[in-house]
Amino acid sequence: MRPFNHINATTLNQASDALKKSGAVAAAGGGDLFPALKDNIFPEYPKTVINIKSIPDLDYIKVDGDTLRIGALATLADIARSPLVQANAPILAQAAGRASSPSLRETTTIGGNVCQLPRCWYFRKLNNRFNCARKGGERCFALTGDNRYHSIFGGTVFETAPGVKRTCVAVNQGDLAPVLMVLIAKFVTTERVIGNMDFFGVGVLNSTVLNCGEILTEIQIPLSEYAQRSRYKRFTFRKSIDYPVLNLAIAVNKDKSQYHICIGGVAPVPYIAGNAEALLKGREITPELAEQAGIAAAEGAKPYEANAYKVQLIKTLVKRELLAL
Amino acid sequence: MGNNQVGITLKSASEQAAATIAAMPVRPKTIRCPICQQLCLTYADLAEHYASEHPDSVAPTAVTLNVNGINCNLIFEPHLTLKQVLQYHLGLIGAKEMCDRGACGSCTVIMDGKPALSCNILASECEGKIIETVEGIAVIPKWKPLIDEYCKWDAMQCGYCTPGFLVAAKALLDRNPNPTEYEINDALSGNICICGTQPRHSQAILEAVKLMAEGSDI
Repeated sequence: MRPFNHINATTLNQASDALKKSGAVAAAGGGDLFPALKDNIFPEYPKTVINIKSIPDLDYIKVDGDTLRIGALATLADIARSPLVQANAPILAQAAGRASSPSLRETTTIGGNVCQLPRCWYFRKLNNRFNCARKGGERCFALTGDNRYHSIFGGTVFETAPGVKRTCVAVNQGDLAPVLMVLIAKFVTTERVIGNMDFFGVGVLNSTVLNCGEILTEIQIPLSEYAQRSRYKRFTFRKSIDYPVLNLAIAVNKDKSQYHICIGGVAPVPYIAGNAEALLKGREITPELAEQAGIAAAEGAKPYEANAYKVQLIKTLVKRELLAL
Repeated sequence: MGNNQVGITLKSASEQAAATIAAMPVRPKTIRCPICQQLCLTYADLAEHYASEHPDSVAPTAVTLNVNGINCNLIFEPHLTLKQVLQYHLGLIGAKEMCDRGACGSCTVIMDGKPALSCNILASECEGKIIETVEGIAVIPKWKPLIDEYCKWDAMQCGYCTPGFLVAAKALLDRNPNPTEYEINDALSGNICICGTQPRHSQAILEAVKLMAEGSDI
Protein backbone atom coordinates (compact mmCIF):
# COMPACT_ATOMS: atom_id res chain seq x y z
CA MET A 1 0.00 0.00 0.00
CA ARG A 2 1.09 3.56 -0.58
CA PRO A 3 1.39 5.99 2.31
CA PHE A 4 -1.83 7.58 3.51
CA ASN A 5 -2.97 9.49 6.54
CA HIS A 6 -4.79 7.40 9.07
CA ILE A 7 -7.45 8.57 11.50
CA ASN A 8 -8.96 6.45 14.25
CA ALA A 9 -12.40 8.03 14.43
CA THR A 10 -14.04 8.02 17.83
CA THR A 11 -17.44 9.47 16.99
CA LEU A 12 -19.74 9.21 13.98
CA ASN A 13 -19.69 12.98 13.48
CA GLN A 14 -15.91 13.04 13.35
CA ALA A 15 -15.84 10.21 10.81
CA SER A 16 -18.60 11.77 8.74
CA ASP A 17 -16.88 15.17 8.61
CA ALA A 18 -13.55 13.59 7.70
CA LEU A 19 -15.20 11.52 4.95
CA LYS A 20 -16.60 14.62 3.28
CA LYS A 21 -13.09 15.86 2.49
CA SER A 22 -11.72 14.77 -0.87
CA GLY A 23 -9.63 11.61 -1.00
CA ALA A 24 -11.00 10.10 2.19
CA VAL A 25 -12.29 6.55 2.49
CA ALA A 26 -13.76 4.69 5.44
CA ALA A 27 -12.39 1.35 6.60
CA ALA A 28 -14.19 -0.97 9.00
CA GLY A 29 -13.12 -4.61 8.69
CA GLY A 30 -10.94 -3.77 5.71
CA GLY A 31 -11.84 -6.94 3.84
CA ASP A 32 -12.89 -4.99 0.77
CA LEU A 33 -10.85 -1.80 1.04
CA PHE A 34 -7.31 -2.99 1.78
CA PRO A 35 -7.08 -5.51 -1.09
CA ALA A 36 -8.44 -2.75 -3.35
CA LEU A 37 -5.75 -0.35 -2.10
CA LYS A 38 -3.06 -3.00 -2.57
CA ASP A 39 -4.29 -3.62 -6.11
CA ASN A 40 -4.48 0.15 -6.62
CA ILE A 41 -7.81 -0.05 -8.43
CA PHE A 42 -9.07 3.45 -7.64
CA PRO A 43 -8.60 6.25 -10.18
CA GLU A 44 -7.19 8.40 -7.38
CA TYR A 45 -5.30 6.88 -4.49
CA PRO A 46 -7.02 7.84 -1.22
CA LYS A 47 -5.16 10.41 0.88
CA THR A 48 -6.82 9.47 4.15
CA VAL A 49 -8.15 6.22 5.53
CA ILE A 50 -10.63 6.68 8.35
CA ASN A 51 -10.89 3.76 10.72
CA ILE A 52 -14.53 3.65 11.81
CA LYS A 53 -14.08 0.43 13.78
CA SER A 54 -12.80 2.50 16.67
CA ILE A 55 -16.23 4.13 17.11
CA PRO A 56 -17.61 2.56 20.30
CA ASP A 57 -20.97 0.84 20.73
CA LEU A 58 -21.74 0.12 17.10
CA ASP A 59 -21.25 -3.66 17.15
CA TYR A 60 -24.36 -4.66 19.10
CA ILE A 61 -26.84 -7.38 18.21
CA LYS A 62 -30.06 -6.99 20.18
CA VAL A 63 -33.82 -7.37 20.03
CA ASP A 64 -35.80 -4.21 20.71
CA GLY A 65 -39.55 -4.84 20.80
CA ASP A 66 -40.32 -6.44 17.45
CA THR A 67 -37.08 -5.48 15.72
CA LEU A 68 -33.75 -7.23 15.54
CA ARG A 69 -31.16 -4.47 15.58
CA ILE A 70 -27.64 -5.12 14.38
CA GLY A 71 -24.97 -2.45 14.59
CA ALA A 72 -23.08 -1.90 11.36
CA LEU A 73 -19.79 -2.87 12.99
CA ALA A 74 -21.00 -6.30 14.16
CA THR A 75 -18.67 -8.85 12.62
CA LEU A 76 -19.97 -11.62 10.41
CA ALA A 77 -18.69 -14.26 12.84
CA ASP A 78 -20.55 -12.61 15.74
CA ILE A 79 -23.74 -12.56 13.67
CA ALA A 80 -23.32 -16.20 12.66
CA ARG A 81 -22.74 -17.24 16.29
CA SER A 82 -25.38 -15.00 17.90
CA PRO A 83 -28.27 -17.00 19.40
CA LEU A 84 -30.53 -13.98 18.84
CA VAL A 85 -29.89 -13.99 15.11
CA GLN A 86 -30.09 -17.76 14.91
CA ALA A 87 -33.50 -17.71 16.58
CA ASN A 88 -35.00 -14.68 14.86
CA ALA A 89 -33.40 -14.61 11.42
CA PRO A 90 -31.80 -18.01 10.79
CA ILE A 91 -30.95 -17.32 7.15
CA LEU A 92 -28.98 -14.24 8.15
CA ALA A 93 -26.86 -16.32 10.53
CA GLN A 94 -26.48 -18.94 7.82
CA ALA A 95 -25.44 -16.39 5.17
CA ALA A 96 -23.04 -14.60 7.51
CA GLY A 97 -21.50 -17.94 8.49
CA ARG A 98 -20.77 -18.85 4.89
CA ALA A 99 -19.31 -15.57 3.65
CA SER A 100 -15.56 -15.42 2.87
CA SER A 101 -13.36 -17.47 5.24
CA PRO A 102 -13.49 -18.21 9.00
CA SER A 103 -10.60 -15.89 9.88
CA LEU A 104 -11.84 -13.07 7.68
CA ARG A 105 -15.34 -13.30 9.17
CA GLU A 106 -13.88 -12.45 12.58
CA THR A 107 -12.87 -8.98 11.41
CA THR A 108 -15.20 -8.07 8.53
CA THR A 109 -18.45 -6.34 9.36
CA ILE A 110 -22.05 -6.53 8.18
CA GLY A 111 -21.96 -2.86 7.16
CA GLY A 112 -18.92 -3.44 4.98
CA ASN A 113 -20.49 -6.53 3.48
CA VAL A 114 -23.60 -4.73 2.25
CA CYS A 115 -21.59 -1.72 1.01
CA GLN A 116 -18.88 -3.71 -0.80
CA LEU A 117 -17.79 -2.72 -4.28
CA PRO A 118 -18.44 -5.07 -7.23
CA ARG A 119 -16.13 -8.00 -7.95
CA CYS A 120 -16.07 -7.35 -11.70
CA TRP A 121 -12.59 -8.25 -12.95
CA TYR A 122 -12.35 -5.18 -15.14
CA PHE A 123 -13.20 -3.02 -12.14
CA ARG A 124 -10.71 -4.92 -9.94
CA LYS A 125 -7.87 -5.11 -12.46
CA LEU A 126 -4.49 -4.12 -11.03
CA ASN A 127 -3.34 -0.51 -11.23
CA ASN A 128 -6.64 0.76 -12.65
CA ARG A 129 -5.90 -0.89 -16.00
CA PHE A 130 -9.52 -0.52 -17.10
CA ASN A 131 -10.94 2.88 -16.23
CA CYS A 132 -14.49 1.58 -16.52
CA ALA A 133 -17.82 3.35 -16.20
CA ARG A 134 -18.11 2.34 -12.53
CA LYS A 135 -14.97 4.40 -11.83
CA GLY A 136 -16.21 7.40 -13.78
CA GLY A 137 -14.73 6.28 -17.10
CA GLU A 138 -16.40 6.00 -20.47
CA ARG A 139 -17.50 2.44 -21.07
CA CYS A 140 -18.23 -0.91 -19.54
CA PHE A 141 -15.58 -3.36 -20.69
CA ALA A 142 -17.59 -6.42 -19.67
CA LEU A 143 -20.19 -5.71 -22.37
CA THR A 144 -17.72 -6.70 -25.07
CA GLY A 145 -15.25 -8.66 -22.95
CA ASP A 146 -15.42 -11.71 -20.74
CA ASN A 147 -18.73 -11.42 -18.92
CA ARG A 148 -19.21 -14.86 -17.43
CA TYR A 149 -19.80 -13.49 -13.95
CA HIS A 150 -21.82 -10.47 -14.97
CA SER A 151 -25.44 -9.42 -15.00
CA ILE A 152 -28.10 -11.31 -16.93
CA PHE A 153 -30.78 -8.71 -16.27
CA GLY A 154 -29.05 -5.90 -18.12
CA GLY A 155 -26.90 -3.10 -16.84
CA THR A 156 -27.89 -0.18 -14.67
CA VAL A 157 -27.68 3.23 -16.23
CA PHE A 158 -26.32 5.92 -13.97
CA GLU A 159 -24.83 9.38 -14.28
CA THR A 160 -21.06 9.65 -13.97
CA ALA A 161 -21.30 13.42 -14.36
CA PRO A 162 -24.32 15.70 -14.80
CA GLY A 163 -25.87 14.74 -18.13
CA VAL A 164 -23.38 11.93 -18.84
CA LYS A 165 -25.05 8.53 -18.60
CA ARG A 166 -23.12 5.29 -18.39
CA THR A 167 -24.03 1.67 -17.87
CA CYS A 168 -22.42 -1.01 -15.70
CA VAL A 169 -23.17 -4.74 -15.79
CA ALA A 170 -21.16 -5.77 -12.73
CA VAL A 171 -23.29 -7.67 -10.23
CA ASN A 172 -23.80 -7.25 -6.50
CA GLN A 173 -22.17 -10.37 -5.09
CA GLY A 174 -22.70 -9.64 -1.42
CA ASP A 175 -23.67 -12.64 0.67
CA LEU A 176 -26.04 -10.76 2.94
CA ALA A 177 -27.75 -8.50 0.40
CA PRO A 178 -30.47 -10.95 -0.81
CA VAL A 179 -31.11 -12.09 2.76
CA LEU A 180 -31.66 -8.55 4.00
CA MET A 181 -33.92 -7.91 1.00
CA VAL A 182 -36.29 -10.81 1.74
CA LEU A 183 -36.31 -10.04 5.47
CA ILE A 184 -37.45 -6.47 4.67
CA ALA A 185 -34.55 -4.92 6.54
CA LYS A 186 -34.25 -1.20 7.15
CA PHE A 187 -30.89 0.52 6.85
CA VAL A 188 -30.23 3.32 9.31
CA THR A 189 -27.55 5.82 8.36
CA THR A 190 -26.24 8.95 9.98
CA GLU A 191 -28.76 10.96 7.93
CA ARG A 192 -31.86 8.87 7.31
CA VAL A 193 -33.58 5.48 7.34
CA ILE A 194 -33.59 3.65 3.99
CA GLY A 195 -35.95 0.82 3.09
CA ASN A 196 -34.66 -2.44 1.68
CA MET A 197 -35.87 -1.69 -1.87
CA ASP A 198 -34.03 1.63 -2.05
CA PHE A 199 -30.74 0.88 -0.35
CA PHE A 200 -28.77 -0.85 -3.08
CA GLY A 201 -27.83 1.25 -6.06
CA VAL A 202 -25.20 1.80 -8.68
CA GLY A 203 -22.93 4.82 -8.73
CA VAL A 204 -19.35 5.81 -9.28
CA LEU A 205 -17.34 3.74 -6.75
CA ASN A 206 -20.56 3.05 -4.89
CA SER A 207 -22.86 0.05 -4.52
CA THR A 208 -25.46 1.77 -2.39
CA VAL A 209 -27.40 5.02 -2.35
CA LEU A 210 -25.26 6.42 0.50
CA ASN A 211 -24.11 9.99 -0.05
CA CYS A 212 -20.63 11.30 0.52
CA GLY A 213 -20.00 11.33 4.27
CA GLU A 214 -23.06 9.23 5.07
CA ILE A 215 -22.28 6.21 7.25
CA LEU A 216 -24.42 3.12 7.71
CA THR A 217 -24.93 2.69 11.44
CA GLU A 218 -27.57 0.03 11.96
CA ILE A 219 -29.58 -2.65 10.21
CA GLN A 220 -33.07 -3.28 11.53
CA ILE A 221 -34.83 -6.54 10.76
CA PRO A 222 -38.50 -6.79 11.73
CA LEU A 223 -39.26 -9.97 13.68
CA SER A 224 -41.85 -11.15 11.20
CA GLU A 225 -43.09 -14.57 10.26
CA TYR A 226 -40.98 -14.29 7.10
CA ALA A 227 -37.84 -14.86 9.11
CA GLN A 228 -39.08 -18.18 10.45
CA ARG A 229 -39.77 -19.87 7.13
CA SER A 230 -36.90 -19.06 4.85
CA ARG A 231 -34.08 -20.57 2.86
CA TYR A 232 -30.69 -19.32 1.77
CA LYS A 233 -28.60 -20.95 -0.90
CA ARG A 234 -25.34 -19.85 -2.44
CA PHE A 235 -23.79 -21.33 -5.54
CA THR A 236 -20.01 -21.10 -5.55
CA PHE A 237 -17.15 -22.91 -7.21
CA ARG A 238 -15.26 -23.29 -3.92
CA LYS A 239 -16.67 -24.02 -0.51
CA SER A 240 -14.71 -21.33 1.31
CA ILE A 241 -13.03 -18.01 0.44
CA ASP A 242 -15.21 -17.46 -2.59
CA TYR A 243 -17.85 -14.99 -3.59
CA PRO A 244 -21.17 -16.52 -4.59
CA VAL A 245 -21.61 -16.78 -8.35
CA LEU A 246 -25.27 -16.66 -7.55
CA ASN A 247 -27.08 -16.63 -4.22
CA LEU A 248 -30.71 -16.91 -3.42
CA ALA A 249 -32.89 -16.10 -0.44
CA ILE A 250 -36.53 -17.14 -0.16
CA ALA A 251 -38.93 -16.31 2.66
CA VAL A 252 -42.65 -16.90 3.07
CA ASN A 253 -45.19 -15.81 5.65
CA LYS A 254 -47.29 -18.19 7.71
CA ASP A 255 -50.43 -18.39 5.58
CA LYS A 256 -48.33 -18.49 2.41
CA SER A 257 -50.04 -15.43 1.02
CA GLN A 258 -46.79 -13.72 0.15
CA TYR A 259 -43.47 -15.11 -0.99
CA HIS A 260 -40.26 -13.09 -1.09
CA ILE A 261 -37.61 -14.24 -3.54
CA CYS A 262 -34.37 -12.34 -4.03
CA ILE A 263 -31.43 -13.42 -6.16
CA GLY A 264 -27.95 -11.96 -5.82
CA GLY A 265 -25.23 -12.13 -8.42
CA VAL A 266 -27.52 -11.74 -11.43
CA ALA A 267 -28.09 -7.99 -11.60
CA PRO A 268 -26.27 -4.82 -10.52
CA VAL A 269 -28.54 -4.72 -7.46
CA PRO A 270 -30.08 -7.76 -5.71
CA TYR A 271 -32.81 -8.94 -8.07
CA ILE A 272 -36.37 -9.33 -6.76
CA ALA A 273 -38.05 -12.09 -8.76
CA GLY A 274 -41.42 -10.31 -9.01
CA ASN A 275 -42.89 -12.67 -11.61
CA ALA A 276 -42.26 -15.72 -9.47
CA GLU A 277 -43.62 -13.96 -6.37
CA ALA A 278 -46.83 -13.07 -8.23
CA LEU A 279 -47.19 -16.62 -9.52
CA LEU A 280 -46.71 -18.17 -6.09
CA LYS A 281 -48.91 -15.74 -4.15
CA GLY A 282 -51.33 -17.63 -1.92
CA ARG A 283 -50.55 -21.04 -3.38
CA GLU A 284 -49.23 -24.27 -1.91
CA ILE A 285 -45.89 -25.44 -3.34
CA THR A 286 -46.11 -28.44 -5.64
CA PRO A 287 -43.30 -29.76 -7.82
CA GLU A 288 -45.01 -28.37 -10.93
CA LEU A 289 -45.58 -24.98 -9.36
CA ALA A 290 -41.97 -24.83 -8.15
CA GLU A 291 -40.75 -25.52 -11.66
CA GLN A 292 -43.03 -22.83 -13.09
CA ALA A 293 -41.80 -20.42 -10.42
CA GLY A 294 -38.21 -21.13 -11.42
CA ILE A 295 -39.03 -20.35 -15.04
CA ALA A 296 -40.91 -17.21 -13.98
CA ALA A 297 -37.95 -16.06 -11.85
CA ALA A 298 -35.66 -16.23 -14.88
CA GLU A 299 -38.19 -14.45 -17.11
CA GLY A 300 -36.81 -11.37 -18.79
CA ALA A 301 -33.20 -12.49 -18.53
CA LYS A 302 -30.98 -11.29 -21.36
CA PRO A 303 -27.71 -13.14 -20.86
CA TYR A 304 -24.54 -12.05 -22.60
CA GLU A 305 -22.42 -14.48 -24.54
CA ALA A 306 -20.72 -16.15 -21.58
CA ASN A 307 -23.29 -16.11 -18.76
CA ALA A 308 -26.37 -17.97 -20.06
CA TYR A 309 -25.62 -20.64 -17.45
CA LYS A 310 -27.00 -18.30 -14.80
CA VAL A 311 -30.50 -18.61 -16.29
CA GLN A 312 -30.42 -22.36 -15.75
CA LEU A 313 -29.00 -21.82 -12.27
CA ILE A 314 -31.90 -19.54 -11.34
CA LYS A 315 -34.49 -22.01 -12.64
CA THR A 316 -32.94 -24.94 -10.81
CA LEU A 317 -32.11 -23.23 -7.52
CA VAL A 318 -35.48 -21.49 -7.19
CA LYS A 319 -37.27 -24.77 -7.83
CA ARG A 320 -35.08 -26.69 -5.41
CA GLU A 321 -35.26 -24.18 -2.61
CA LEU A 322 -39.03 -23.77 -2.95
CA LEU A 323 -39.45 -27.52 -2.62
CA ALA A 324 -37.18 -27.52 0.43
CA LEU A 325 -38.96 -24.54 2.03
CA MET B 1 14.67 -36.33 13.15
CA GLY B 2 13.37 -36.27 16.68
CA ASN B 3 9.79 -35.40 17.45
CA ASN B 4 10.64 -32.06 18.92
CA GLN B 5 12.69 -30.80 15.97
CA VAL B 6 11.34 -28.80 13.10
CA GLY B 7 12.77 -28.98 9.61
CA ILE B 8 16.48 -29.18 9.12
CA THR B 9 17.39 -26.93 12.05
CA LEU B 10 18.96 -28.52 15.05
CA LYS B 11 17.13 -26.46 17.65
CA SER B 12 13.64 -27.34 18.82
CA ALA B 13 10.73 -25.17 17.71
CA SER B 14 10.19 -23.77 21.20
CA GLU B 15 13.86 -22.77 21.55
CA GLN B 16 13.84 -21.01 18.20
CA ALA B 17 10.61 -19.22 19.03
CA ALA B 18 11.89 -18.21 22.46
CA ALA B 19 15.02 -16.74 20.89
CA THR B 20 12.93 -14.81 18.36
CA ILE B 21 10.64 -13.43 21.05
CA ALA B 22 13.62 -12.50 23.24
CA ALA B 23 15.06 -10.55 20.32
CA MET B 24 11.90 -8.49 19.87
CA PRO B 25 12.79 -4.80 20.41
CA VAL B 26 10.69 -3.33 23.19
CA ARG B 27 11.40 0.18 21.94
CA PRO B 28 13.14 1.46 18.82
CA LYS B 29 16.91 1.66 19.32
CA THR B 30 17.23 4.87 17.36
CA ILE B 31 14.55 7.13 15.96
CA ARG B 32 15.46 8.25 12.48
CA CYS B 33 13.47 10.15 9.92
CA PRO B 34 12.71 7.58 7.17
CA ILE B 35 13.10 10.27 4.49
CA CYS B 36 16.29 12.17 5.38
CA GLN B 37 17.72 9.79 8.02
CA GLN B 38 18.05 12.58 10.57
CA LEU B 39 18.46 11.27 14.10
CA CYS B 40 15.74 12.29 16.56
CA LEU B 41 15.79 11.79 20.30
CA THR B 42 12.10 11.21 20.93
CA TYR B 43 8.94 10.61 18.93
CA ALA B 44 7.85 14.19 19.64
CA ASP B 45 11.06 15.41 17.98
CA LEU B 46 10.32 13.26 14.95
CA ALA B 47 6.77 14.62 14.69
CA GLU B 48 8.14 18.15 14.94
CA HIS B 49 10.78 17.37 12.33
CA TYR B 50 8.07 16.09 9.98
CA ALA B 51 5.92 19.15 10.48
CA SER B 52 8.79 21.50 9.66
CA GLU B 53 10.83 19.55 7.06
CA HIS B 54 8.37 17.21 5.31
CA PRO B 55 4.94 18.80 5.63
CA ASP B 56 3.55 16.89 2.60
CA SER B 57 4.58 13.45 3.84
CA VAL B 58 2.68 11.24 6.22
CA ALA B 59 4.36 11.22 9.61
CA PRO B 60 4.96 7.87 11.31
CA THR B 61 2.74 7.02 14.25
CA ALA B 62 3.80 5.81 17.68
CA VAL B 63 1.87 2.71 18.68
CA THR B 64 2.21 0.24 21.54
CA LEU B 65 1.50 -3.29 20.41
CA ASN B 66 1.02 -6.17 22.82
CA VAL B 67 2.60 -9.04 20.93
CA ASN B 68 3.08 -12.43 22.60
CA GLY B 69 2.62 -10.83 26.01
CA ILE B 70 5.26 -8.15 25.53
CA ASN B 71 4.37 -4.48 25.13
CA CYS B 72 6.43 -3.07 22.27
CA ASN B 73 6.62 0.66 21.64
CA LEU B 74 6.95 1.07 17.91
CA ILE B 75 7.16 3.91 15.44
CA PHE B 76 6.01 3.12 11.92
CA GLU B 77 4.11 4.61 9.01
CA PRO B 78 0.33 4.22 9.28
CA HIS B 79 -0.09 2.37 5.98
CA LEU B 80 1.85 -0.67 7.21
CA THR B 81 -0.17 -3.78 7.83
CA LEU B 82 0.20 -5.79 11.02
CA LYS B 83 1.98 -8.49 9.03
CA GLN B 84 4.60 -5.99 7.82
CA VAL B 85 5.15 -4.52 11.28
CA LEU B 86 5.54 -7.98 12.82
CA GLN B 87 8.17 -8.81 10.23
CA TYR B 88 10.03 -5.55 9.72
CA HIS B 89 9.86 -4.05 13.19
CA LEU B 90 9.63 -7.05 15.50
CA GLY B 91 11.45 -9.75 13.52
CA LEU B 92 8.57 -12.21 13.82
CA ILE B 93 8.63 -14.04 10.51
CA GLY B 94 6.14 -16.74 11.46
CA ALA B 95 3.14 -15.05 9.87
CA LYS B 96 3.77 -15.35 6.15
CA GLU B 97 2.70 -13.20 3.26
CA MET B 98 1.31 -15.25 0.38
CA CYS B 99 -1.66 -13.64 -1.36
CA ASP B 100 -1.62 -10.41 0.69
CA ARG B 101 -5.36 -10.07 -0.06
CA GLY B 102 -6.91 -12.00 2.81
CA ALA B 103 -7.60 -15.06 0.68
CA CYS B 104 -5.03 -17.63 1.79
CA GLY B 105 -4.74 -17.53 5.60
CA SER B 106 -0.93 -17.79 5.71
CA CYS B 107 -0.70 -14.60 7.74
CA THR B 108 -3.17 -15.69 10.45
CA VAL B 109 -2.49 -14.37 13.95
CA ILE B 110 -4.68 -14.46 17.02
CA MET B 111 -6.07 -11.09 18.02
CA ASP B 112 -8.11 -10.86 21.22
CA GLY B 113 -8.61 -14.62 21.12
CA LYS B 114 -9.93 -14.73 17.58
CA PRO B 115 -8.08 -15.69 14.40
CA ALA B 116 -7.39 -12.64 12.26
CA LEU B 117 -5.60 -12.08 8.97
CA SER B 118 -2.68 -9.79 9.72
CA CYS B 119 -2.23 -8.79 6.06
CA ASN B 120 -5.65 -7.20 6.13
CA ILE B 121 -5.33 -5.23 9.34
CA LEU B 122 -3.50 -1.94 9.73
CA ALA B 123 -1.02 -2.12 12.59
CA SER B 124 -1.98 1.37 13.71
CA GLU B 125 -5.48 0.05 14.51
CA CYS B 126 -4.12 -2.63 16.85
CA GLU B 127 -3.26 -0.53 19.88
CA GLY B 128 -4.60 -2.20 23.02
CA LYS B 129 -5.28 -5.51 21.33
CA ILE B 130 -3.63 -8.72 22.47
CA ILE B 131 -1.79 -10.26 19.55
CA GLU B 132 -0.46 -13.77 19.55
CA THR B 133 1.69 -15.14 16.74
CA VAL B 134 2.90 -18.63 15.97
CA GLU B 135 6.10 -17.93 17.92
CA GLY B 136 4.05 -17.17 21.01
CA ILE B 137 2.25 -20.48 20.60
CA ALA B 138 5.45 -22.46 20.12
CA VAL B 139 6.96 -21.34 23.44
CA ILE B 140 3.98 -22.53 25.50
CA PRO B 141 4.57 -26.15 26.60
CA LYS B 142 0.83 -26.84 26.39
CA TRP B 143 0.94 -26.55 22.60
CA LYS B 144 4.06 -28.66 22.10
CA PRO B 145 2.00 -31.76 21.17
CA LEU B 146 0.33 -29.80 18.37
CA ILE B 147 3.67 -28.89 16.80
CA ASP B 148 5.05 -32.38 17.35
CA GLU B 149 2.03 -33.98 15.70
CA TYR B 150 2.30 -31.60 12.76
CA CYS B 151 5.86 -32.89 12.25
CA LYS B 152 4.93 -36.51 12.93
CA TRP B 153 1.99 -36.61 10.51
CA ASP B 154 3.90 -34.58 7.95
CA ALA B 155 1.20 -31.93 7.64
CA MET B 156 3.50 -29.73 5.59
CA GLN B 157 5.59 -29.90 2.49
CA CYS B 158 7.19 -26.59 1.69
CA GLY B 159 6.04 -25.27 5.07
CA TYR B 160 5.15 -21.77 3.96
CA CYS B 161 1.47 -21.98 4.89
CA THR B 162 2.04 -24.09 8.01
CA PRO B 163 2.27 -21.26 10.60
CA GLY B 164 -1.10 -19.96 9.39
CA PHE B 165 -2.63 -23.41 9.75
CA LEU B 166 -1.11 -23.86 13.19
CA VAL B 167 -2.45 -20.54 14.46
CA ALA B 168 -5.91 -21.28 13.05
CA ALA B 169 -5.78 -24.71 14.71
CA LYS B 170 -4.79 -23.15 18.04
CA ALA B 171 -7.63 -20.65 17.79
CA LEU B 172 -10.02 -23.52 17.14
CA LEU B 173 -8.73 -25.58 20.08
CA ASP B 174 -9.00 -22.55 22.38
CA ARG B 175 -12.67 -22.25 21.50
CA ASN B 176 -13.41 -25.95 21.18
CA PRO B 177 -10.90 -28.26 22.93
CA ASN B 178 -12.41 -31.41 21.45
CA PRO B 179 -13.32 -30.76 17.82
CA THR B 180 -14.60 -33.27 15.31
CA GLU B 181 -12.90 -33.76 11.97
CA TYR B 182 -15.68 -31.77 10.29
CA GLU B 183 -15.21 -28.85 12.67
CA ILE B 184 -11.44 -28.89 12.06
CA ASN B 185 -11.88 -28.84 8.30
CA ASP B 186 -14.41 -26.06 8.66
CA ALA B 187 -12.15 -23.95 10.88
CA LEU B 188 -9.16 -24.45 8.56
CA SER B 189 -11.16 -23.79 5.40
CA GLY B 190 -9.78 -20.26 5.25
CA ASN B 191 -6.22 -21.52 4.84
CA ILE B 192 -4.85 -22.70 1.55
CA CYS B 193 -1.99 -25.16 1.09
CA ILE B 194 -0.87 -25.34 -2.51
CA CYS B 195 1.21 -28.46 -1.80
CA GLY B 196 -2.03 -30.27 -0.99
CA THR B 197 -1.53 -31.35 2.63
CA GLN B 198 -5.10 -30.52 3.69
CA PRO B 199 -6.17 -34.06 4.78
CA ARG B 200 -3.16 -34.40 7.07
CA HIS B 201 -3.98 -31.29 9.10
CA SER B 202 -7.16 -32.76 10.56
CA GLN B 203 -5.32 -35.97 11.36
CA ALA B 204 -2.46 -34.14 13.08
CA ILE B 205 -4.85 -31.98 15.09
CA LEU B 206 -6.99 -34.95 16.15
CA GLU B 207 -3.87 -36.79 17.34
CA ALA B 208 -2.64 -33.67 19.15
CA VAL B 209 -6.00 -33.35 20.92
CA LYS B 210 -5.62 -36.92 22.19
CA LEU B 211 -2.06 -36.28 23.41
CA MET B 212 -3.03 -33.02 25.08
CA ALA B 213 -5.92 -34.74 26.88
CA GLU B 214 -3.53 -37.45 28.13
CA GLY B 215 -1.04 -34.80 29.22
CA SER B 216 -3.64 -32.97 31.26
CA ASP B 217 -4.61 -36.18 33.10
CA ILE B 218 -1.07 -36.64 34.37
